[in-house]
This record gives sequence, structure tokens and C-alpha cells, in this order.
Amino acid sequence: MSADPGVIGTNDDASSCKRFAVDKGYWADPYISYLVQKSPSRKAPEINRGYYARVTSIQVILEKFLKMTKNNCQIISLGAGFDTLFWRLSDLGLAPKNFVEVDFEQVTTRKCHFIKSKKQLLSALSDEDADIMISQSELHSAKYHLVHANIANIGELEIKLTASGIDRSLPTLFLTECVLIYIEVEKTNKLLKWIADSFPTSFFLNYEQVNMTDAFGQVMIENLKARDCILSGVAACANTNTQMNRFLNNGWTGGDCIDMALVYKCLPQSDLQRIERIEMLDERELLDQLLSHYCLTWAYKDTLDLGLHTISIS
Amino acid sequence: MSDMSDLDRQIEQLQRCEVIKESEVKALCAKAREILVEEGNVQAVDAPVTVCGDIHGQFYDLKELFKVGGKVPETNYLFMGDFVDRGFYSVETFLLLLALKVRYPDRITLIRGNHESRQITQVYGFYDECLRKYGSITVWRYCTEIFDYLSLSAIVDGKIFCVHGGLSPSITSLDQIRQIDRKQEVPHDGPMCDLLWSDPEDMQGWGVSPRGAGYLFGSDVVNTFCQENEVDLICRAHQLVMEGYKWHFGEMVLTVWSAPNYCYRCGNVAAILELDENLKRDFTIFEAAPQESRGIPSKKPQPDYFL
Repeated sequence: MSADPGVIGTNDDASSCKRFAVDKGYWADPYISYLVQKSPSRKAPEINRGYYARVTSIQVILEKFLKMTKNNCQIISLGAGFDTLFWRLSDLGLAPKNFVEVDFEQVTTRKCHFIKSKKQLLSALSDEDADIMISQSELHSAKYHLVHANIANIGELEIKLTASGIDRSLPTLFLTECVLIYIEVEKTNKLLKWIADSFPTSFFLNYEQVNMTDAFGQVMIENLKARDCILSGVAACANTNTQMNRFLNNGWTGGDCIDMALVYKCLPQSDLQRIERIEMLDERELLDQLLSHYCLTWAYKDTLDLGLHTISIS
Repeated sequence: MSDMSDLDRQIEQLQRCEVIKESEVKALCAKAREILVEEGNVQAVDAPVTVCGDIHGQFYDLKELFKVGGKVPETNYLFMGDFVDRGFYSVETFLLLLALKVRYPDRITLIRGNHESRQITQVYGFYDECLRKYGSITVWRYCTEIFDYLSLSAIVDGKIFCVHGGLSPSITSLDQIRQIDRKQEVPHDGPMCDLLWSDPEDMQGWGVSPRGAGYLFGSDVVNTFCQENEVDLICRAHQLVMEGYKWHFGEMVLTVWSAPNYCYRCGNVAAILELDENLKRDFTIFEAAPQESRGIPSKKPQPDYFL
């Protein structure tokens, strides 16, 4: 994966969709408006519900990991884009010991600029014992680090994580959302193996495409290609087995992969009922088709024997 | 005479996927209203006729439909609603169909779908598109006023009942449909709403629709309705089917879907149903118009995914 505009553009697209859904009331995010402008166009209800399912399910798994480790852990978000996760977790009193976001320089530069210029974002990073160090494109604070690296380049990534004070002995959660699919499968395999080898107690949470071998998948490949966005790693997104096996084949102990149609059904029912009332969905089939082409995959390696194997969506 | 040549020019313009002037839309809608107001809630249609399902503003795919199904007036068409929303060219699509209706009123029948509604078009694109293409919502107003005049259903040779969605627990006979005062926004419930929103389901009786409007109806409901009204087949649209058409309950209910690669994303094929003078059925399957036939859009439209 090179830093091409097509892939970088996916952050703007996803951010814009999240902003629209937040403005509609699908979930609360007091920080997104500081990072993302109002969406110029309306998004269809199935897109809003799909983003809701993604944000909510990731939050469910993250909270289980944070509680299990009593926040004595680290989160490393690869290809974080304009995600507001750190600030939302801080508000809940759930911020981990260290939180590192990695993305392309073009993305981190913009995010740095927004954080610098918005006191609502900056104040969450303040700590009386440590200064905040901000450059044009990177930021280091006591608990939050924003760095740029090509995550397919393990040497570069390792240097940046070290500079961010990552402690390999601590339980560490890696998060990727629609990131690995842009990276060649062999490079992702090396990355997954390096993490498993380097972090004895770790948890990987990946949200991305699945069941990509059918007509819907082919159309997506073509549509994204037209936006200069090449799905170089799509071979690993053939089905839930291919998604899971790349972890099991690269040093991870276990885990699970569930398509989002199933994940959706496992989300807290009362909140689901609330969001389904926000907008009428004219065709359920459109949502089902989208959800069945995305999945949540998680994998663990639990040297400290924390019970990471018990973490799941339900 | 000048009216007719104006109309022919507008049709030509719309066929190139170019919008017509706001004043022309106003005049077109006024003429369309005169024609539609005379139509019944169960509009009688003679075979042969080609029955089409949802189009959803996929203008270039509608042109593909005319390519495989034949042009108006050579082919007699029945469109079962959902002309607008979701696609990028709802304005051009609806105005072309409406202009054809005014030009050849006996060769094209348009019935109302659940998207021909003020409320729904504000969520699914037609409203925003009118605003974008005309700079005001006047054209949206003209069009949604015409939606209220569209017929609710059609019956081909007295034997094939065509409706956008399906049946209603409030309706047992075609005469009951004829009694509805249709000239209004699609209500949230009741018989008019159900006709436009309901879906067949493998069950008995009636069920709650996951769409939040209309009902699910089972095979026994269909049997009773068809017997009482001496109908052989219920033909409807409303639901995406990947293969373009789908039979339900043996061959009692038929779904026809005419928007290939729906939302430019779904990967489905589309179908039209050709009924000959003896009501013999023939399906034609077609795919989305090739990219090169779509011209160069001023702003490249992009289907939505989670990225």
C-alpha cells in the first residue's frame, strides 16, 4: 500500500458518513464535528445503520478488552484516520495506558492541525506530568500519540511505536477498520506475524469486507477502482475462513470472524430499536446485502492468561 | 401542433439525459394531470404489454430497457412505479416517462410506487437532486403533485393485477380499490399505503412488515383475492431480486425488478415481462448499461460503501 490519494480518500468518505450519522443521532460523538465537516450530501439509511453497527460493535469489543485488562493496556489503531475513539473512551473513563494512532502523513498532518486548533480535542491530552509535543504531522502526549508510517513497512512502524512509548509486555489491542484490504496479502501476513511474535499478550480487531467473490464484490472492486482505490488484499476477504485463517496461520492462538449481518443482530436490542426509528428503511435487502459483505474478525494471543479468548460480540 | 413539436423536442432532450426548463416541467405536469386524472385506480390495460418494475432514477439503464423492450409507442408499456430516488438521474427519468405518457397516453401506463411520495423522496434523493439541478424545489413540487394523480394499480385484460407492492388486509375486491380517493400523499397506513408497500412472504395470513409500512401477505391471502376477483396472477415490483424476476407461491405472484445493478452497487440483473395478446409470458433479462454509453457525468457519482 502506497500513500495514494484513492486510499487516503477513503478516510474522508468514511469520516463524512460518520459525521452524517452522528448528526442524525445514530450515536453520540461530541468530537467528530471538530475533525470532520458536515457531509455535503445525504447518506441513505442503510449506510447510516451500517456505520452505526460498525462503531457500536467495535466499542462493545473494546470495552470488554479494557475492562478485562483494567485499562492497564494499550490500543494501537492502524490507519486510524479521523477516528475520535480516544476522546470518546477518555470521556467514559476508559482510556488505556497508551493510545497510538498510525496513518499516512497526509492524514496525520491534517489531524494534527485539527487537534492543535481545537481546545476541546487538545484538553483531553493534557497531563500535568508531561508536555505535549506537536510537530507538523506527529503528536506525542502522555497517553495519546499520533504518528505517520506506512503500516506495511514493519521497520518504519516499529520505530514509530517505540517512539510512542509502546511497552510490548503490556496487553495490546490492535485495531484496523477497512485498512488491510488495501495491502497485499503477503505484507499483511508479515505484519500479523510480527505483531504476534512481538506482543505476547495481544488482541487484534479487524473490521472489513468479506464474501467478496460474488457479483456484489466484483461491482465493489470495479467501483472503487474507478476512484483509484485498489483492493490489493481482497483475496483474504473471500469468506470468514480466509479472514480468520490469516491470523491462525501467523502465530495467533484463536479468535472468530462474524459477518456484520450477524453482528447487527447481536447489538444491544434497545438501542437497535431506537436507531431503527430514526429513519425508515425502504428496503431491508439493501442493508442485509451490505452487512453480509463486511465482517468483524478478532484474534488473540494470551500469554498473561487474562481470558482474552472469552471476548466476543454477544 | 406546436405543442406536439415542443413535446417531441423535450422528449429528444430528455432522451439525451438533459433536463428541460422549469417552465416546461410546469406545462408538462399540467398536461399530464389532465390525462392521469381520467385514469382509474385500477387502470384497465390491454395486452400485448410489457410490464416493468422499479427504475429508481437509473436513466441509462432505462434506455437499456427501451433498447431490449422496444421504443414507445411501438411497444406498449406498463411501469409499476418507483421511477425516482436512489439513482443519479431521477429528474430525467421521471420527466422522460411523463413526457412519453403525455405524448402517447394509450401506449404507456404509469402507476404509483412507494417512492412517488413527498416524504420518501426527501430521504432517498429525488428532493436533493431537484434542488441540485434546478436550484430550487419548484420542480420537486410539480412532480410530487403529479405523483398524487398516478393510478394505484392496473389490470391487464381483466386477468393480471399489477400493483407496486401488494395486497392490503383492508381490501378484498378490486372495487374497493376503485373507491379509494387516491389524490393525496401516500398515507402512513391504510389500503392505499398497503398497495404500495406490502410484500409477499412464505406464510399464511398477514404479517408485520420489516419496512415499517404495509404488510407481509401469505399464499392463502393471495388465493382468496385471486378467486374473488377472477385474477390469474398478481404482478408487482418493490423488492430487489438478483435474477430480475421471482415467482412466489407457485405462479400466483410475480416480482419484476427493472433496475440492473441497483444503486450502482447490488450486482443484480434486471427483467421485464412481455405479455403477448394471449397473455403468454416472456421474460427479457438485461444488465446495466455499459460505462461508455453513460456519457461523461459532470461530477462522477459514487455508490456508497463502508470505507
